[in-house]
Amino acid sequence: MPISVWGIYTVWRRHFKVYTKTLFVNCLAPISEPVIYLIAFGYGLSPLIGTLQYGGKNVSYLEFMAPGMVAVGCLFQAFFEGGYGTFIRLRYQKTWQALLTAPLSYTDIFLGDWCWATSKGLLAGLVTGLVAVLWGAIQPLQLITFLPLLILGSVLFAALGLLTAGLVRTVDQINIPVFLLIIPMFTLCGTYFPRETLPLPLQLIASILPLASLVDLLRWDLGKPEFWELKLAWLLILTLAFGYAAARSIRRQLFRS
Amino acid sequence: MPYLTAPYLTAPYLTARNLRKSYGEKCVVGGIDLDLTSGKIVGLLGPNGAGKSTTVGMLYGLIEADEGEVTIGGEILSERTPQTKKRIGVVTQDNNLDPDFTVEENLIHFAHHYRITGGAAQRLAAQLLEQVELDSYAKYRIDQLSGGLQRRLVLARALINSPQVIFLDEPTTGLDPEARQLFWRLILNLKQSERAILLTTHYMEEAERVCDTIYLMQGGTIVDWGQPADLVIRIAGSEVIELEGLNELAVASLSAKYETWFRSYSQGFLLGVPQHGSQELWSELAGTPYKSLTKRKSNLEDVFLLLTGKRLGS
Repeated sequence: MPISVWGIYTVWRRHFKVYTKTLFVNCLAPISEPVIYLIAFGYGLSPLIGTLQYGGKNVSYLEFMAPGMVAVGCLFQAFFEGGYGTFIRLRYQKTWQALLTAPLSYTDIFLGDWCWATSKGLLAGLVTGLVAVLWGAIQPLQLITFLPLLILGSVLFAALGLLTAGLVRTVDQINIPVFLLIIPMFTLCGTYFPRETLPLPLQLIASILPLASLVDLLRWDLGKPEFWELKLAWLLILTLAFGYAAARSIRRQLFRS
Repeated sequence: MPYLTAPYLTAPYLTARNLRKSYGEKCVVGGIDLDLTSGKIVGLLGPNGAGKSTTVGMLYGLIEADEGEVTIGGEILSERTPQTKKRIGVVTQDNNLDPDFTVEENLIHFAHHYRITGGAAQRLAAQLLEQVELDSYAKYRIDQLSGGLQRRLVLARALINSPQVIFLDEPTTGLDPEARQLFWRLILNLKQSERAILLTTHYMEEAERVCDTIYLMQGGTIVDWGQPADLVIRIAGSEVIELEGLNELAVASLSAKYETWFRSYSQGFLLGVPQHGSQELWSELAGTPYKSLTKRKSNLEDVFLLLTGKRLGS
């Protein structure tokens, strides 16, 4: 499995150049989404909820929600770039097939795509975090401490997206993991409300989903999460498992075509 | 010194030995040996589904062979040696250009994969666009190019690294005659610059005109190979007769009498003109109740029909 750092970089760079071609349009989603959520939940729900109990202490709803929004930013951008972006490059634009004619290995191209989807997730998380800082929902220093977790979360969700791209046969099939996994994660993993309010079976299911562990770890400043080592290990295990499965599934799809 | 360069030029630059590929139970390529030599164009001919594209895919590393080995310039091509691919250029069957980039950006960004960057990449892109006569389209978007122009850009992309081996996988499919003519003129220029070229096509006339050697493929195997003219004479003879209006028994009896071959063809039959007794055969045919009778030069299509019972375009 030969890996060339230059090869990975040039694949990443290709995607970056495409992204910057329509920078305004591409930046719209990661910037507008958190702003809209903050306005909607900040103005809409914050006055109604005020404070809530988290980690044994009272925290404002805005403080509670902000780390969740940062994690959701990573989830959406990394997953959709890994899923839709890779699928389109693989099946419609045949970019992977073109890149394989250059002195790049399959692994270079795979890692280049993975890094790119990760970058988009990380960017979205950071932009969301910046908006939250401006809103006063999190402290600037806190955002810096988020960074390693944001990278891990983006790598994980990018791998999940790539796995989706490798498994589906039509673009519409990407909706299957979106509705069965991404939307349930977004709504149930404690992003906008503590999971403890859910019925126990649902609470357990939500806790297993990776976004739950990421959100819990990002709320470290609000209260050290229980079993944090396990949660961190779970994220690492899932990243490796999804990454390995994605590499296999895309390889199968690419070399059979 | 000529005596030193001559052996190098004739030695194969790319060799493929015993290439095999199956998908599940289905064998797509069943053991192919092939050599490419500098300054020569080798044609891989066969109908759709013969295994041509799978073979080419294995030769340039897109498809992993189940068995066999490809050597390029003395190095074995494998996923462990992606740098070997610096020696090859590929014109893929699909126009898999970057739709988000302009014509020149497509080349500049692709050059980065070969560590050609900055001004060098820009100069190279300009040079290549001039070579394939696309310099006036440098700032165009890909969707503004016709199919023929896109093929030329794919060719320019394949030449970024000045490759010693060029693969052309069905390069002119879907192009109008004028675009095809221009494309072939560019390819013949490349041949003169001592590149080893492999072409897959099901256009017999094209292959006959530009190829030095032809491999005929059917069902995943090479059924015969040789220089186009030799192949035609050796297998089909110099002339054939297309005839309509006779039944198979009558044609078979003529074939046996004059010790020549026949095959059913279109609405009638194709009958090889024997080396001896061609006048007698023609006279005898003139006395039969035929509908149409045409004598013409044999071609690769006849060879393929004779060897496989199928037409190339099928």
